[in-house]
Formats: sequence, structure tokens, C-alpha cells
Amino acid sequence: MTKPNKTGKTLLTRTKKLASDFWNGKPHEERRLGDLYIDKTGLYKHREWRGVKDTMYYFNNIWLYNYAHMIGDMVKYSGPKGPMLFLKGVWRYRWLGQTYLPVMHWFDRGLEGMRGEGLRASAWHYRAMVSETIRQFMRMLEADQKTGGSKEIYDKTIAHDETVWGGIFYPWRDRMDDVPLQMIPYFVTCHVNNHVVLNYIDAAQSIGLPGDPCPMCQAEAGIFLQDDVPEYYPIVITSNEACDGSVGTSVLQDWMMNRPLFAMPQPMQFDDPLVQEHCAREIEECWKFIEEQTGEPFSWNELKKHLEQQNQLQEFEWEKWEVAANTDYYPINGVAQALYRIYQSQDGDREIWHEVDARVKKILEKCVEKKINSFPKTRHRMIAWSCAPLYYSHWCTWAYNCWGLNCIINMDSLMFNMTIRTDSYENTLQDMALYHEWAPMRRMAVGGMHHIFELWEYMEKFHCDMVMMYDQLQCKGMQGVHGLFEDEFRARNIHAIWMPHALPDKRTVSRSEIRGIINDYMTTIMHEEPLDPTLLEFDDSEGW
Amino acid sequence: MKSVWKTLGIVFGILTGLYIVLFLVFWFDLDGKALFYGVEPFLKNHYDKMKRKDPLDVEYRTDTENYEY
Amino acid sequence: MKDLKHLIEMEDLLQQAYNKLVKEAQEEGRKAIGYTCYFMPEVLLDLEGCFGVRLRAPNCTSPVMATYYMSGRTCHYGRSLMERALEGGFNFLDAQMATETCTVTCRFQEHLGRMDIIQNPNFFVEFTDIPFKKTENSVLHYQKQLQAHVLDKLHEKFGIDVSDEALMRAIERHNEVCRLVREIGEYRKLDVPTITGYEFAVIQLTTLTCPKDKILGMLRETAEEMKTRKPDLKPTWKVKVCVAGAENDHPDFIKLIESCGALVVADRYCYGSLPGREEIVVEEGQTPLEAIARHYLNTSCCPRFMPQDIMRGRKKYLADICAEYKADGLIIESNKFCEYWSYERTIDALVIPRDFGIPTCSIEKEYINSASGQLRTRFQAFVESVELKKLHAEKGNDHDETE
Repeated sequence: MTKPNKTGKTLLTRTKKLASDFWNGKPHEERRLGDLYIDKTGLYKHREWRGVKDTMYYFNNIWLYNYAHMIGDMVKYSGPKGPMLFLKGVWRYRWLGQTYLPVMHWFDRGLEGMRGEGLRASAWHYRAMVSETIRQFMRMLEADQKTGGSKEIYDKTIAHDETVWGGIFYPWRDRMDDVPLQMIPYFVTCHVNNHVVLNYIDAAQSIGLPGDPCPMCQAEAGIFLQDDVPEYYPIVITSNEACDGSVGTSVLQDWMMNRPLFAMPQPMQFDDPLVQEHCAREIEECWKFIEEQTGEPFSWNELKKHLEQQNQLQEFEWEKWEVAANTDYYPINGVAQALYRIYQSQDGDREIWHEVDARVKKILEKCVEKKINSFPKTRHRMIAWSCAPLYYSHWCTWAYNCWGLNCIINMDSLMFNMTIRTDSYENTLQDMALYHEWAPMRRMAVGGMHHIFELWEYMEKFHCDMVMMYDQLQCKGMQGVHGLFEDEFRARNIHAIWMPHALPDKRTVSRSEIRGIINDYMTTIMHEEPLDPTLLEFDDSEGW
Repeated sequence: MKSVWKTLGIVFGILTGLYIVLFLVFWFDLDGKALFYGVEPFLKNHYDKMKRKDPLDVEYRTDTENYEY
Repeated sequence: MKDLKHLIEMEDLLQQAYNKLVKEAQEEGRKAIGYTCYFMPEVLLDLEGCFGVRLRAPNCTSPVMATYYMSGRTCHYGRSLMERALEGGFNFLDAQMATETCTVTCRFQEHLGRMDIIQNPNFFVEFTDIPFKKTENSVLHYQKQLQAHVLDKLHEKFGIDVSDEALMRAIERHNEVCRLVREIGEYRKLDVPTITGYEFAVIQLTTLTCPKDKILGMLRETAEEMKTRKPDLKPTWKVKVCVAGAENDHPDFIKLIESCGALVVADRYCYGSLPGREEIVVEEGQTPLEAIARHYLNTSCCPRFMPQDIMRGRKKYLADICAEYKADGLIIESNKFCEYWSYERTIDALVIPRDFGIPTCSIEKEYINSASGQLRTRFQAFVESVELKKLHAEKGNDHDETE
């Protein structure tokens, strides 16, 4: 026996502990993840040791695999010229260069502290998003007339607002492709590198736009004003989703795009059966516009095929919800759930979603079968409501590591909650209209207040005991219902943490301030102690 | 035969070395550091200096088509 | 100029939503129907047995209670309406015919439906879905919505006659008001107008907020009076301007502009008369409701419309109005937190001077303009710049047109 040290542990015990920490990774409470950061930058002094198996999984199957596939996907989608096209794009477009190089850090932030099946399932979600993102920007670059892209591909590419569901274009998927205008240059960018979007917000304000409209809409206008959108499309489809600001933005965008534009707005009062025919007719008019402008006829078979494939994605999503709602064995973390679902449901049927869903399905089944709890330190099951801060979508990873707050589900995930009938043209059109009306940031936000208050039903359904109430300071729709939520939370005795933010703009409320608000609530209201105190306060203000 | 083994050994050695180097890059977040301190500032400087089309030069036709079907 | 005979009375009527004419009409057994937006056709609310009141919240400077419900980061207009409702200022309403046409007024109206604010046991809120386009599909949709959510409800709840004949009679009455307002407004087109923008704003607002039959007499007399009204010997203004933009139901804002030397000759803003006071024409083969639906969609210049030709056509419409009313410049305003008009104002301020050569002043304001000192400075500077432009034009020089 060796002499005990100051803590009373013998060398043998210490050695065993070291070996165990090396092999299995440290227990949650001993991880001290906050010590890994380099001040201000969000970079790591070194990456986290998760035990041999998970560290090597992270290194081989996430880090190496994704770096390799980032190049592989360029070749897969655009052939051998892919990497060169990408480099040209990096040189030309800020959002591409500053965002897609540090993409592995986006993985790191979202997957911090994760182990086992949870790590694997969540990482697959990230992988799908990266792959689909590469597919989209490679298509943009292939067709881009600003960087010498192909005119032939340009003529076969339709641009649309990111809030127009990709399913509208299924009838032409065998001959043409559709790429949303803002999904990659704006939306994905904010998550990966939150500095980039600030240039676009400032650009919008530099021509006189006030600072108070939704910063998402400002940024979307700013990309055009900065001449930072590839010239990849001869025609455009726009939409009134999600709000007044989006409609306003389209005026500026239309000016900058200066080409045939078809507006396909959706009715606001979507519960009203009278609006459905009008909406369906709008979709049909949009199809006629595409036919007329491109000379390519509508294909019912293509539409049907993709809708049926999309239905498969939705059915699996329901399976996931079922596990998330009723068991402790859901292996997907809050940020992966939220981003994957909104991306996939808005984008529509693409091969990568099926590929990844098949992998995740295996993991999910394994977790249920073997009762694997990927979040064993859960103290509270949270539901996140309203729209999330894009620059801090990974708050849920931090909140779990620091406080044991496990974000089970979020509002955006629950938007497109339906499959689409394909038994007849009429039924399909009717369902497509409704699906389109249920778009992200819209399904609960418009069409009557009762939709936004569906929160209570979902809380119950997903067995959540706390709410992370996103408080998008520049969202007029949500600000306009603030007081009633306060009243309801009080009346129902629900613990809700209001998280103020300005969607993509970290300057309004920083990540650190958001953490401070959660910390305050957890200590002063919940009287709880952090699981990892090193995560309470740290400065990542300059981080991606 | 010996040279085949030798070649394989060299290849294996190189791959192992590469693997170890990559692991060190991963472990010490050298990819992140290189991007943060080197690549991004360089690119940012490039984008900031880039000559861009003045948006106010874009014409604004008020006689566009009415797309109604 | 000689004072208009009914101006003070009209000003009094605008002091509160529940004014004496509204009270009188209700005492006669007619139902008061609130609304906030041009997309809710006032002609339908003015059927026999009811009357429309376009809601305002005059003198509401500090919407404290409403700020609790709707936060301090939403449009002051929507919050002021909410505050007035919470204070009991809209308890006279029998119904609110609501539209989800801009977010914050929509939220205000949803609060009316959800909370027990309006102390009238039979009060109800009914929403109508409004299209974003002017196509045939949109007209048909709008027509169906108006039938189901306005006419059917008025009939069902209040027994209002909503037959085609009743609608035709309502159109006739509505058209008479429009004719009179336009006739009065035509005097703004004169080289030396014989009506001020403030006076006209008071008249226009009165027609929106009072039972129309009760003000017809005043309108007729005013129109008559205008025929012989003489301008001041020495004009009090230096330039003439068109005011365009977001919700503005405060004549004092127009007065503020005019006190800086700019006569307001055209009013293209929400609650203004351009558009708003065009007569409804029922073409052969059309039902009155179809004509109404077409009229309101076709005349509206709301920035909510999304088709490309309409978005772009709005700029030309503004330029045309400036020419028609001989305005030397354009003041384009938006209320703080109004998203539609923030964008529309920005682009108007860039395109109108560049492409149409009209000097433009772009401002952001509150519903009640407590910061009138700052606005005054802006307007004075604009008036000076327009005057200078005129001088430069006389000398054949060009000049930067945006203030």
C-alpha cells in the first residue's frame, strides 16, 4: 500500500481513477469543459478527451470523416472540377470563405461533452446538413455567371426564398434544380460563423434601413446589397413567409435581382377552410410560371415520387418524436434535433436525408432496445419555444453540460407535422397548400394566437417541465404576445426562462449574456448547483 | 519479396506518421487555430477590400410583367 | 384663409373614438364596428343598421399597460390602440372586424378576442384573410372572405340586411362621401391651394371615424364653402409636398410639417385619402360584393402587395401623385417598428429622387410625435433644400435630391 495523498487517496486508487478517466472519459461533474477554452476565441487549448472509444470515434468518424467528405462531396456533386469551383467561390463570396472552412468547429460546439450513441446520432445529423449545404452551394457555383459558371446549368436552376418549401419544385427535379437564395449565404452561415452576417446587416442599414426590423430580413437584404449572391438563376419565386419583414425584404431583393419574379404568398388565416383553395391555386400559378419561363413541363410522376419519399422522412420524424416524448433514450441533442429538422423539412426530399435517417434509425432502435440514456444527467426536460438565436443554437449543449437542462424538442421541429396524400392530384394539391402554410416561423406564429399557445399541449406530450422561451427582440409577432405568455406562465406555474436575442445578431445580446440569464435563473429561482462550474462564465465573444 | 515488405513498411510508416500528425492537429485544435489566426483574417481582409457593384446603380424598371395565370 | 365652418367641430370629433356622433348612432340602435385597416372595406361596415369606426388612439402618449402585453419593441400605433382598449376607450364597440394585415395590429386585435377587454357582453372579433396580390384568384378569395367573415357575421349576429340591394345602397352612400372628400381634396391641386393639408386631414379622418350619414351635412357645406374660399394673399408656405408612408391618424403631424413651410397637398399614407376616396364602380355583370372586392384590392397601394409589377408600380404611383398635385417634394414616413414601411420607405427614398427627380425626405416617427423638435429640424432642412433645388433648377444646375 502506498501512502495516501492530501485527498486521502492512495496511489493505486489514483492510478485506477486515471486509467478509468483515460478509458471511459471523466464523469460529467469532473470534466471542467470550461478550462479547455482559449479566452475570447472559443478555440480549444486541446479538444476534449471523451475516453478512448469516443475520442477515437470523434477523431476518425467525425473529424477526419467530415473533413474528407467536405472535399468528397464537392466531387460527388460537381465532378472533378468541384474543388476548383469551390476555391473560386471562396475567393469571391464572403459567406462561403469565412463560413465553410471552420465548419468542424461548428461540430465541436454542438457536440461538446457528448458520449456514446448520443454523440453518434447527433453527429450524423450534422453530417447531413453539411453535405446538403455543399450540394446547394456547389449547384450555385456551377451555375454562377459571376465566377464563370455554366450557362446551361444556370438556365436549369430556379432560385427561391428560403422560406419557400423545396417541395414546390419536385415536378422538375429530374430536369432542373432549385436552390434557396438565403439558406446557405445567410441561415447556415449564422450557425457556423456568426461574424459573417454582421457585414450584411450593416450593409442593409447603410442604405437607410432602420435597425429595428427583424435582423434576419435585414441580413437577407444585405447579402444582395453587398452583391454577394451568386448569379445562378434566371427566375425567382418569393413568399410572404415568415413575416412582414420578409415581405418588405423582397422589395429590396427584387430590385437587386432585377429578373422575372413570381410571388407565391400563403394565406395567414390557415385554419380557415376557405383559404385552402386560394393557396392551392397560387401553387398552380407558380407551376405555370415555371413552365412558361423555363419551357419545361410539369411532371406529376416526379412530384408524386418525391412526395412519397418525403413522407418517409416525416414518418421517421414521428418515430423520433415518439421516443423523445415517452422515453429517456432519445439519442439526439437539442441543437442537432432543431437544425436538422428545420433544414430537412424546409429543403424537402434529398438523398442525404434518407441516408442519414437510416443510420440514425439504427442508433435510435439500439438505444430503445438496450435502454441507453444518452443524457443521464438530465435534471429538467425542456421545450424550446419561438425562434432560436442562430448565433447560439448550441446553447442546449452548454445548458446540458452546465446545468443538466435537456432540450427535448423545439417549436420549429413541430412545424411541418403532416404527410402528403398522393392518391390524386386534388388531394395532393390540397395537402401541399396546407404544408406550405405550416412553414417554419409561421405554423405557430400566425393564423391566430391559439397556435402559439399550443406550447402547453406539446409540453405535456413531450413530458417537459421547463420552457426555454426564446425572446427574439425584433420579432414583432412574438413581442406582440409577450405579456400573455408571462400571464400564462404564472397562472400555470411553469418555470420558463426568457432568452432574449436578436436572431443572427450577436451584438444585441451576446452568448455570454444568454448564459448569464440562464445561470441566474438556475441559481436564484431553481436553487440548483451547476454540474460543471467551469462553464458558468467564460468569454467566447470573438469565437465563431 | 523483401522490397515489397519494405515498401509496405514505408507506406505503413508514412500513413501511421500522417495519422499521428492528424491526431495532433485534431487534439490541439490546430485546424481551428490556423483558421482563426491565419486564414480568416486573410480572407476577411480580402473581402473587405473587394470592389463591389454599387447597389444603387441597378436600374428599377416600373413596367415589369404581370405574372398571372 | 377664412376658417372652415365645421373644422372645430370636426377637430372635436377626433378627440376620442367614442365621440358624440358615434354615441348618437348607437342610441339609434345601430352597431359600432371597429376596424384598423383599409383592407376591411368600410362600405360593408356602413350597411344599414351598423357603421364602421376606424380605430385611433388620440392623445395616447404612454402606452404603459399595452407595453406589458406587447413589449416596448412593437409599433406604437398597435400598442396605443391596445392601451386605449385597456383603458376602456373602445367599450362602445359591438364587434371588431379584424385583418391579419400587419403583425402588430393583428396582435392587438387578437388580444381583443382573447382577453376580456371590451366590456360589452356581445362583443366579438372576426378575422378576414386578405390576399397579397391583385390577381383574379385573389379577388375571388377576398370576395369569399368578405362574404363569410363580414357579411354573414353581420347578418347572423346583428340581423343586418346584406342583400345586393342593401349593398348597392351602401355603395351609393359611400360614393357620395368619396365624391365630396375628393371634391374638397381637388383644391389641393391648385397652384395656390385653398385648403391646407391639416384641414384636409381633419376632414378625411372624420369620414373614417364617424357614422357617415351624420357628417354628410358638414361635408356638403364644406364642399360648398370651398367653392368661394380664397387663398391667403401671401402664402404661408414655401414648398408643396406629398406625404406618403405608414399609419398616420394625427393631423398634428401634418400641422407640424406645414409649420415648417411645407404645404401638404397629397396624403398617400394609411388613413389618408390616396387611395381611399375613389368611388366604387359596379360594372355590368358584377355583383356589388365583387365590385367592392375588386375596388379595394385594385386601389390599395399597401407595401404588403408582393407581385413584382405591383411592388415596382407603387413607386410610379407616388411620382404620379406628386406630379398631379404639383408637389415639389415627397416626405416619406414610417412608424418605428413598422416593418413593411421601413423597407418601402428605404427604397422609395433611393428610387424616387434617382429615377423621378423628386426631392425626398425620409423620416421615422412615432405614433404620437413626442420628438417633434427633431422632426421640425428635419423638415426645415428639407424645405430649405427643396427651395435651393428650385433656385438651382432656375439657374440650370443639378442638385442632390435626397435629404
